[in-house]
Amino acid sequence: MKDVLYFAPTELTEALKLLAQYGEKATILAGGTDLVPRINYYELKPEVLVYIGNLGLDYIEQSDGKLVIGAATPTAKIAASPLVAEKAAALAEAARLSASPAIRTAGTIGGNLANASPAADLATPLIALGATVVLVSAKGEREVAVEEFFKGPGETVLQPGELIKEVRVPIKKGKSVFLKLGRRKAMTLSVVNVAVYVEMEKGQRCVDARVALGAMAPVPLRCKKAEGVLQGCVLPMSALEGAEFLDKARIEKAAELAIAESSPIDDQRATAWYRRKAGKVLVARALAAAAGVAI
Amino acid sequence: MKYVLSFNLNGLPVDTLVKATDTLLDVLREKLNVVSPKRGCDNGDCGACTVLVNGEPVRACLTIGLTVAGKNVQTVEGLQQDGKLHPLQRAFHEHYAAQCGFCTPGMLIAAKALLDKNPKPTREQIVEGISGNLCRCGTYVEVVEAIQAVAAGKYKE
Repeated sequence: MKDVLYFAPTELTEALKLLAQYGEKATILAGGTDLVPRINYYELKPEVLVYIGNLGLDYIEQSDGKLVIGAATPTAKIAASPLVAEKAAALAEAARLSASPAIRTAGTIGGNLANASPAADLATPLIALGATVVLVSAKGEREVAVEEFFKGPGETVLQPGELIKEVRVPIKKGKSVFLKLGRRKAMTLSVVNVAVYVEMEKGQRCVDARVALGAMAPVPLRCKKAEGVLQGCVLPMSALEGAEFLDKARIEKAAELAIAESSPIDDQRATAWYRRKAGKVLVARALAAAAGVAI
Repeated sequence: MKYVLSFNLNGLPVDTLVKATDTLLDVLREKLNVVSPKRGCDNGDCGACTVLVNGEPVRACLTIGLTVAGKNVQTVEGLQQDGKLHPLQRAFHEHYAAQCGFCTPGMLIAAKALLDKNPKPTREQIVEGISGNLCRCGTYVEVVEAIQAVAAGKYKE
């Protein structure tokens, strides 16, 4: 086997130079929780490892109306952050429920996205919250919506030489909820996961709704049709005028539409049939919790 | 191509030659003969290789060895002090918290990581703390009881 080169740059510019120099030969290493098993089992034979854990990309800050999370921030830190819990509840919950303690210590938010698993737990809340990723290369910087970042299982818009620098989550007034169904309570991949964001004007009229599904399509999926039937709806007891009532029936309609937009598969964790059934229940529960509707 | 890897292992500085793809588990077991971390799955699922890096629990099998350069790594070999077993080790022993013992080093490290952060965990927090550690013999009940006993102060340093 050819010798593998290893670099652990301490400056972002140095890392980008290495990535530009080695191009497609470079494999970016952060927490390693998704990458190293593939090396251990000879599925991946890296030529050049560029470790990005020493670049100072481990931070959670609030700036300019956004929650800004460095790409190399471990999942455990996101799960434990009071700032994330307050400003992006669904993301905090997804981080808390992902994998197990020793995996959360190492695995990073940038790695979870770059690995592009259709079941990536952090992807759905970021889509529901309207987050973006900042991608940097030696040539410059660009910002991509998380919902447009994924192209297929294991595939993203990341180009050779490009690195995720940070994730930006807009801080909004509404409520976000994340629900996950796995084969067991801990240390499990999602059979299906759901993240929703709902903003209620005066607590009564839905002015913004976003729905995202995980493990239900080749990529984490935003369900725009489901969102559409919630916009403008008012709670049944509301004095406000609205297009329709936001009640149990409407929430179930939205859940149905979300599932209709998905394309789940049969795999070792569940059948597509089961994913549709369970996914619909999760979407309805998440929307009801976020909107404050009893179902 | 080999690289020099220097880090602190159970309080002592070590240097060793490693390949870029050697995991921390390879380094500990194959190069340094530190064999308490077990190779169960090499995939991050079983938890038998759990060690502390700068006080945080990680999977040695998922950690590229070179990434621990300059850091503090602690294994079960570093738990005892002056020949005296760590309270967790004594509690595991007295509660029969091991049958075959393969998962025990990982369980001990997961338990230490938990108690270092949260000395008085609830039963639920203990269960969560060891949720990434599989035991084929099914000693979970005894493991939880042993950790509860240490948290209750029944085993002093």
